[in-house]
Amino acid sequence: MDTLPDVEPLAILEALLFVSEVPVTMERIEEVLEGRSRAEIVGLIAGFQERCRQGGRGLLLVEVAGGYRLVTKPEVAPWVQRFRGTKPAKLSKAALETLAIIAYKQPITKPEIEAIRGVTIDGVLKTLVERDLIRILGRKPEVGRPILYGTSRDFLEYFGFKDLSELPTLKEIESLAPAAAGKETSDEAVGDAGQPG
Amino acid sequence: MTYRVRLEMFEGPLDLLLYLIQVNEIDIYDIPIAKITEEYLACLATMQELDLEVAGEFLVIAATLIQIKSRMLIPAEELEGEDLPQEDPRRELVERLLEYRRFKEAALTLDELESRQQLFYARLGELLPPVAEGPLQVSLSELLRAFAAIVQRAPQATALEIAPEAITVSERMVMVIDRLALESPLPFTTLFDVAGTRLMLIATFLALLELLRRGLVRARQSEPEGEIMVYRAIEGSGGDDGHPA
Repeated sequence: MDTLPDVEPLAILEALLFVSEVPVTMERIEEVLEGRSRAEIVGLIAGFQERCRQGGRGLLLVEVAGGYRLVTKPEVAPWVQRFRGTKPAKLSKAALETLAIIAYKQPITKPEIEAIRGVTIDGVLKTLVERDLIRILGRKPEVGRPILYGTSRDFLEYFGFKDLSELPTLKEIESLAPAAAGKETSDEAVGDAGQPG
Repeated sequence: MTYRVRLEMFEGPLDLLLYLIQVNEIDIYDIPIAKITEEYLACLATMQELDLEVAGEFLVIAATLIQIKSRMLIPAEELEGEDLPQEDPRRELVERLLEYRRFKEAALTLDELESRQQLFYARLGELLPPVAEGPLQVSLSELLRAFAAIVQRAPQATALEIAPEAITVSERMVMVIDRLALESPLPFTTLFDVAGTRLMLIATFLALLELLRRGLVRARQSEPEGEIMVYRAIEGSGGDDGHPA
């Protein structure tokens, strides 16, 4: 690596977070900041968060979907919304119910979801796939090899979860999802294309 | 029944049933089946214009209710004799309702989180997503030309008598989708790598055309004579999903 000018690491961190369109993982920060320990970086992040919390700033540094990202403060939301010119679209009740079932019971097939909701879900499933909130985890090794669905990284971002373990625990729901974190997919489960970050 | 309900208000038959249980202040573990069946059917009767698919979903549960009701009417003695413990005919339905209710509540929580989260704005993605948008972006003649090149490269069929292989287009469709699920986009030619015989190549090509027609995959060619890339049309950018490994 060429010799780089001596720049305050906090400034570098701020720049990285600024240019990234997805949450930046700790691993990526370590890679780019070369030679800084994780503890140091954790300290930098905490320092940055502290600075944001002070008045006169419009940004926050949040931990979400396995990484860190800059977001605008809730109190400036009305102006950001005016600036962007669109109101964020909310998911329908049907979409949220379907998403909840997938989140807690993944990997799960379409017929299994339909059995719980008592309705067909073709349209809803298509919307969720198109919005990248769910993804295909593989196929269930049974007749018809139905597709297994699970939640995506965008799902975590969308609801502000660091990871799936942050899904709110609901009455009796743990017994339904013994392995919310350890996704047990069939042997045939397909991996993910593309690289993170 | 004094209240008016419209079926569009409900997310399905179970939602309606839960509503009826709630407004009648019924104990879900001890549902008066006769009463609830009557009310449920009365609600269905208000459906003037029938959306057949929706109606079907509501009717399935109506049938279930009627079946439970009739089983409840059979005197208990008649079922004895077999040494089976008496099972409440309502049990299965109650379990379904309870499970549905859990997720209905979970959905409400997600709804709140969504509203809260929508106050935080993040940078918008500027790069084009790897999933192709819009319809077919390569002409059919270009696709055919590319396919002709592949067929020409395939070994000539030798004059052996072989039992016809059972190759189906739908099988090849699954293969194409599976490959694209692993990696998208893929060069057109790569999709034909595994296929040996001409029959297989043709089946794969037909499968690709069918997938394009259904909008499940997309094909693009950035310049004339350039390589045709095939994209899956659904599923996002892939990548890390944030699940602990």
